[in-house]
Amino acid sequence: MNKALKELLYKMADDQLVLGHRNSEWTGVGPLLEEDIAFSSMAQDKVGQSYQLYQMLHQLGEQEPDTVAFMRNAGQFHNSQFVELPVGEYDFSLIRHFLFDHAEFLRFGMLSECSHEPLAQLARKIRGELKYHVMHANTLIKQLGTATEESVSRLQQSLEYALPYALGIFEKSPYEDELIQQGIFAGEAELQKRWAEQISKALQPTALQLPSMNSLQPITGGRRGQHTQHLQPLLDEMAEVFKIDPAADW
Amino acid sequence: MSEEFIKSLDPRVSRMQMPADINEQPLQKEELDQLVTYQVFMQKKEGKNFEHAGIVHAPTQELALLYAKEQYSRRFTCSGMAVAETSAVLASPVTDGGLSVYELLEGPAPETDGPAEAYEVFHLMKRGKQHEHAGSVEAATVEEAFLKAKESLTPEKPVLNIWLVRRSDLLTIDEEDKDIWQTLPEKGYRDAVAYKASDRLKEFKEKN
Repeated sequence: MNKALKELLYKMADDQLVLGHRNSEWTGVGPLLEEDIAFSSMAQDKVGQSYQLYQMLHQLGEQEPDTVAFMRNAGQFHNSQFVELPVGEYDFSLIRHFLFDHAEFLRFGMLSECSHEPLAQLARKIRGELKYHVMHANTLIKQLGTATEESVSRLQQSLEYALPYALGIFEKSPYEDELIQQGIFAGEAELQKRWAEQISKALQPTALQLPSMNSLQPITGGRRGQHTQHLQPLLDEMAEVFKIDPAADW
Repeated sequence: MSEEFIKSLDPRVSRMQMPADINEQPLQKEELDQLVTYQVFMQKKEGKNFEHAGIVHAPTQELALLYAKEQYSRRFTCSGMAVAETSAVLASPVTDGGLSVYELLEGPAPETDGPAEAYEVFHLMKRGKQHEHAGSVEAATVEEAFLKAKESLTPEKPVLNIWLVRRSDLLTIDEEDKDIWQTLPEKGYRDAVAYKASDRLKEFKEKN
């Protein structure tokens, strides 16, 4: 059971850490002050959640959270390629926030029934912040997805670019059956189904067209350590201080 | 217009496309490029009164409410929040020196037969503090609402300033979304407590 659970925890934690770091790149240069604060705060939430997951892994015998976060190379990360893509323009960052955070909210929702009690507890604890992230994403997508020709076409373009990567979130684990049988997690296929429903519902009040998911080829590999050229530079930047001085303090 | 932009090692700065020579092209602001402001009222704990927390800028009231949450509750506990556009906050005059602003209000209110509306009443009890929710009244006009507040809500201590907000102008978090206040209690990573700015300042002053 441990192997399957660890694989699940690693991919979730790595997704949160990498996207949290990416989204924090908007700090100070967000489109308006309040959006900057909200987006940065949600990025911090993600880093905080990844810490809790690494902590849980530590209790299952893995190394300290800092070591795990800072000392692995890209090939040892299990995040989906979606989260490592550069922030791009705000339209892409928003669409990624929308697509990823819906999946994350649903994933933790399913995990609140998890047979591994610490994970179920964490899922219940962070339900509020995840729900806020989804509300924020929906509200902005609704606003900008109905606003001007430019805002709609930018979001539409980003949506079409992002979707194949977003489908990579649901790349199956080698332990899929085990996770389902042991009541840990109801599985990526089930999650993807619920996600597609929610995404489609949230896009209804907008002028955005959701491409047919069946015609798309998911971009996978991230869960197996295959990444784009964008991940390693991000990790190098994140670990810069730690690698110079692991005991560094303020 | 100059095509030269500031190139920085920080890609975020480069992306802003600021003119390289700031004197050559003074930064000009278009008129009315500011978003409107919203006043934020926050309830710190279940059972406590809502208090004025501050202001946010936002393109819509819905976004103002979402921004208010991150602006004012990301480091503290919170159990409720409401926002109203600043222009929807109806303020009384301000008094000082122990005089209650209610003493300046004299009735009776002129008779009106329009439909009554609910108003939320906020009191400022001390300068430098925040306006705190004192109760609500139903009235057909703003004038009547102030006088009804005087009849039903006048506390013993002098009230320095009154704000009225029509309930219909306030947007709050829906009952079904109240679980957004559940978050991780361990938020140490948000605080810079380990960074002792005063020590650094002292060190700097001694050196220079």
